[in-house]
Amino acid sequence: MSLISSPFAKKPTSVTEMMLWVIGATLPGLFALVYFFGMGVIVNLIIASITALVTEALILKVRQRPILPILFDGSALVTAWLLALALPPLLPWWMTVVGVSFAIVFAKHVYGGLGNNLFNPAMVGYVLLLISFPLEMTSWLPPAELAQNPVSLMDAISYIFTGTSMSGEPITAARMGVDGFTMATPLDHVKTELAQGYRLAEIESHAVINGLSGSGWQWVNIGFLAGGLFLMFRKVIGWQLPAGVLLGMMLMSFIMFAMDSDHYLSPSFHLFAGATMLGAFFIATDPVTASTTPKGRWIFGLGIGVITVIIRTFGGYPDAIAFAVLLMNMTVPMLDYYTKPKVYGHKAKRSQGDSDAH
Amino acid sequence: MERSNYKSEIPIFEFHGGIHPKEHKLESNQTPIQNIPLPKQLIINLKGQAGNRSLPVVNVGDKVLKGQVIAESDGIFSTFQHAPSSGTVVAIEKRPIAHPSGLDDLCVVIETDGKDQWCDLKPKSNVIDLERNEILAHICESGIVGLGGASFPTHIKLKKESGIHTLIINAAECEPYITCDDRLLQEHAVEVLKGADIISQLYDDLNIIIGIEDNKPNAIDALVAARKELGMDAVKIAVVPTKYPSGGEKQLIQLLTGKEVPHGGLPADLGLVMHNVGTCFAIYEAFEFGMPLISRVVTLTGEACQKPGNYKVPFGAPVEHLMTFCDAQNPGVLVMGGPMMGFELPNPSVGIVKATNCIIMAAPKELKHDHLALPCIRCGACMDACPASLLPQQLYWHAKADEFEKAEEYDLFDCIECGACAYVCPSDIPLVQYYRYAKSTIRNQKVEKTKADKARLRHEARQERLERVKREKAEKHRKAAEARRKAAEAAGEDDAKKAAVAAALARVKAKKAQQDDEPASADNKADNSTTDNKDSDA
Repeated sequence: MSLISSPFAKKPTSVTEMMLWVIGATLPGLFALVYFFGMGVIVNLIIASITALVTEALILKVRQRPILPILFDGSALVTAWLLALALPPLLPWWMTVVGVSFAIVFAKHVYGGLGNNLFNPAMVGYVLLLISFPLEMTSWLPPAELAQNPVSLMDAISYIFTGTSMSGEPITAARMGVDGFTMATPLDHVKTELAQGYRLAEIESHAVINGLSGSGWQWVNIGFLAGGLFLMFRKVIGWQLPAGVLLGMMLMSFIMFAMDSDHYLSPSFHLFAGATMLGAFFIATDPVTASTTPKGRWIFGLGIGVITVIIRTFGGYPDAIAFAVLLMNMTVPMLDYYTKPKVYGHKAKRSQGDSDAH
Repeated sequence: MERSNYKSEIPIFEFHGGIHPKEHKLESNQTPIQNIPLPKQLIINLKGQAGNRSLPVVNVGDKVLKGQVIAESDGIFSTFQHAPSSGTVVAIEKRPIAHPSGLDDLCVVIETDGKDQWCDLKPKSNVIDLERNEILAHICESGIVGLGGASFPTHIKLKKESGIHTLIINAAECEPYITCDDRLLQEHAVEVLKGADIISQLYDDLNIIIGIEDNKPNAIDALVAARKELGMDAVKIAVVPTKYPSGGEKQLIQLLTGKEVPHGGLPADLGLVMHNVGTCFAIYEAFEFGMPLISRVVTLTGEACQKPGNYKVPFGAPVEHLMTFCDAQNPGVLVMGGPMMGFELPNPSVGIVKATNCIIMAAPKELKHDHLALPCIRCGACMDACPASLLPQQLYWHAKADEFEKAEEYDLFDCIECGACAYVCPSDIPLVQYYRYAKSTIRNQKVEKTKADKARLRHEARQERLERVKREKAEKHRKAAEARRKAAEAAGEDDAKKAAVAAALARVKAKKAQQDDEPASADNKADNSTTDNKDSDA
């Protein structure tokens, strides 16, 4: 006889369902990425997903855990998916494999598996790749309308697995813009140009940063924003955290922009550049590694927003969502402890000797 | 389910969290309350209430009449119990009881004679003429306890008079499946209000508010009609939105007053006292007809139950008797209470107790979910559902790691075990189990600590006593020695006198000897003997 304890009723939800919603909600952003940067994005996704599932299965076997139920909880897939969405489209295949497997093994299972990891696995994998292969990791393609040699699916596969196109052209060809220059991402471009003494007003005429935050990138961000709002609406993610990230980013960039609009990017540029929306709605919201209290989530989000702008502006890397997320991950145990909500019956200030009252 | 659009007569506040599980009320609330056939045996648990065991006053072999006292209050924290039907007491022994532990406890077993013959009843319908303590005594002697589920003795709850200004009648009945209060109001709203009126005799100027969820439109209509019939215009009907656990005492108080019962306090601290509709009805019957509490309305429901509905069931009726009556074949789970806070019955032979508001005879797949519990991903769904504004995810984390001090810091003991957290958990973690485990471990540790402290104090007291005895002994010895020494000294002085006398005599002798030409050798001898004497005494 196995007695079970109440409650006996159960809302039909599951972790897998939540994970699938997250993956589904990345689709608008994914379409924008594919539209502007080619099929390499899809190839990366496939490589990352397979790597994640295989690594997860292997390590579950090593840890003697039930493989099937955990493998299909979807968490490994989400890690792979989010990491792949942050990778440059033609990254050599083995780098993706290294990043994803490192994320699964070292950022997740070394801590005890799903639910126990302190750091966001996808961002750990991303940062490992970024600091190990800075050149490859910052080699983005020009958005489709500015590319001299748009990359086909076969070319993408060829680049990823062999380093050259089908016809043997090196990767620099794919990175060539219509103006004959190698294209960087808008954030990267602005950073380089500012370093060379140009003012923002001058740089803004460059094709790569036309529109809100650069051709292509604004649509990618709008795509992720749409998916993120959908998740919020579905209550898969809370609203405090993304709101915190965006607000923190706006506040910080507004202060600097107001002080010197010639050298500091505008809040609107920051909001729609780089991985902002992917970070705010999909990466920072990883429940395991974010703060879990309502107030803590606000602080966690604000921190990510502020740190991102600071690193983007003063740091050595063009984008900074990953660093900001990892830095804020470290604060989570403390945030959780000091932002406990007021419990029922404790509204009145706690009297002394309260703990003996039980 | 149908919602009442009756507008609440007082403003309704909100409580944090809460959930909307499937209500499953229509299965049982469509038919009137019926009687069930009398079972052959009634097994009455003497600890069928919160508090202490009642003291049996019948013996095996005694004939009892319906309503006759079979057990009395211990005078501290229990009530009277009465024979639910006429018959013979066949055993007073340990039997399985309706408790999640499945342990046995003392029960009075009555073999019914089928006559269902009442004893002499003593109505006290002249409540206005009664003293306060007479009313309370009658409530206690009628065996009335809170029928909402906790079965706290009602006379104790009503004892405090000063500062109480409002009676809240809890008709929220927020748990899924349960409809006994709903049906009782639909059929006996007048009697319930009369019961509330009797309670109001205990206080000066008592406001009465009835808190009811909007998923009971018929009961609300019945209440409105009954209030009009009785002219009790001061009674306010507060309709609250259907949300579990709005019927929790603390949550209903928050809904109706916007106030929170302070941590470690009681509703009385806010001037409130809360009673369930069933309790009001029982009080009415006790005073109007002198009928003690010997039966209650129980919802029998669940997919395995072929005759779902509400029944007037005598206490002690075995659950298996009810199952036979309902043709329930092999239910998957047998739950006493609702699906959120009830418990699985370890044994269908147990008798119905005063707290039993519902028996769910669930089909095999209806209530059991055998999903594997996945790791907590800290999504916080439980936090959003918690009516006590706790952080269930943190409580779980610390309870699982046996970090009980941390769990207490996160206010573990403010958890009301409503189960909302476990209901929404996407990882299917049985959260409430962890909290119960942590709570009971902490309680046991505290008991152990108290015991250890007592033992330590006892040990220290003993050590001190031994020390003291030793000291006193030593002191006594010292005093005795002193006395002896003094005595000896005294004796020594005597010797000295004797010696002096002897010496004097010796001198006399010596003089005589001198005169006789003898030296002073005798004098020396005497001196030596005195010294020897003193030495041996010391």
